Amino acid sequence: MTPPTFRPTNKRPLAALALVALCVAEMAAAHAWSLSLTSASRRVFLHVGNGTANGNNGTINRVTATLTGAQLLAGTPQAMSSNSTQSNSLYGDGFTTCPNPASQVMVGASYRRNNNNQPASATLRVTSPANLTNAAGDTIPFSQISWTVSAPGSSVPNVIPAGTFNGGTQTLATVPANTYIENCHSFIYANSALRAAGTYNGQVTYTLSSP
Amino acid sequence: MTSAFRHAAAVCLLALAASAAAAETHQLDDSLSHTVPPTAQMQWLPQTRGDVDGGMEAWVRVNVRIETQDWVGRSGSIYMVLPRDEASTLEAVWTADGPLLAGRLTSGERALVYRGAITSTTLRDQILVRLRSGPDWQSNSRRLNFHFELDVD
Repeated sequence: MTPPTFRPTNKRPLAALALVALCVAEMAAAHAWSLSLTSASRRVFLHVGNGTANGNNGTINRVTATLTGAQLLAGTPQAMSSNSTQSNSLYGDGFTTCPNPASQVMVGASYRRNNNNQPASATLRVTSPANLTNAAGDTIPFSQISWTVSAPGSSVPNVIPAGTFNGGTQTLATVPANTYIENCHSFIYANSALRAAGTYNGQVTYTLSSP
Repeated sequence: MTSAFRHAAAVCLLALAASAAAAETHQLDDSLSHTVPPTAQMQWLPQTRGDVDGGMEAWVRVNVRIETQDWVGRSGSIYMVLPRDEASTLEAVWTADGPLLAGRLTSGERALVYRGAITSTTLRDQILVRLRSGPDWQSNSRRLNFHFELDVD
């Protein structure tokens, strides 16, 4: 028979442990409703001519200049007309940014990022082909077309600057995060040389991108 | 008793004493509350000349159930609390069907949702919450941990 063994117990640590447990229980009695919330998606928005706020619009507007023989011989620049009907801003307030859409094309661009770790800006560019061409294969350099800009009531009417197409890709503007820029573009045909008769076509493409 | 235990016990007693002596604010159990949907994604608000950022918003419905059985017969004020989770401030505006009150708060604040005698073991309501913030988050997602607390009269 083995003699009874004496196992010393220390109740004070147990008491302290219980006290700490009570303390933790008091502080942890926290139940609450919580919600996992995701930010809005990063977004670029661009419209050139007719557009739809916050939506897609497949319209490709056309600017034209139809010259008489006398105008061709005179060689003076010719303002081009537009089939755009977009006069009101898509910038939330419907402001009449382009009061004469028959001779203007509104360009509006915004870049929205949802947190401070994303790229600080987006870039607006336009790409033009080297030439306009007619059915016979005759060409007019795209550099014969330029544009002026305006934005009545704006403190920065040239936020997208005036320019001349160069038959390549041109950077037009930087759009800072969470800003919206817009103005109206009026196109001019330089008419600096006599061309073979015909209808010349070409299409330019505007892009807005952020890395 | 070791000095470590003595120290822990002392800190705990002090904390409990401080808790009791404070303005008798008690966090309430609303673990049976839930949101519909359980997650949400913010949507962009229109940009305007007056509000260049535009900001973002989301709507959620919350089925609220606050356990008040320990406080039946007492009266006090119940607040909804939104602890600040990051630098970007978030605003919550809600309507309620009753008995809770409609209200508004921003990150780091609390807002009164009930005032008076507590007569039932649970407070139930459905609130419709609109959440708004600027686009200045620090990440693509965040967890909002609302809770309710009671100031006993």
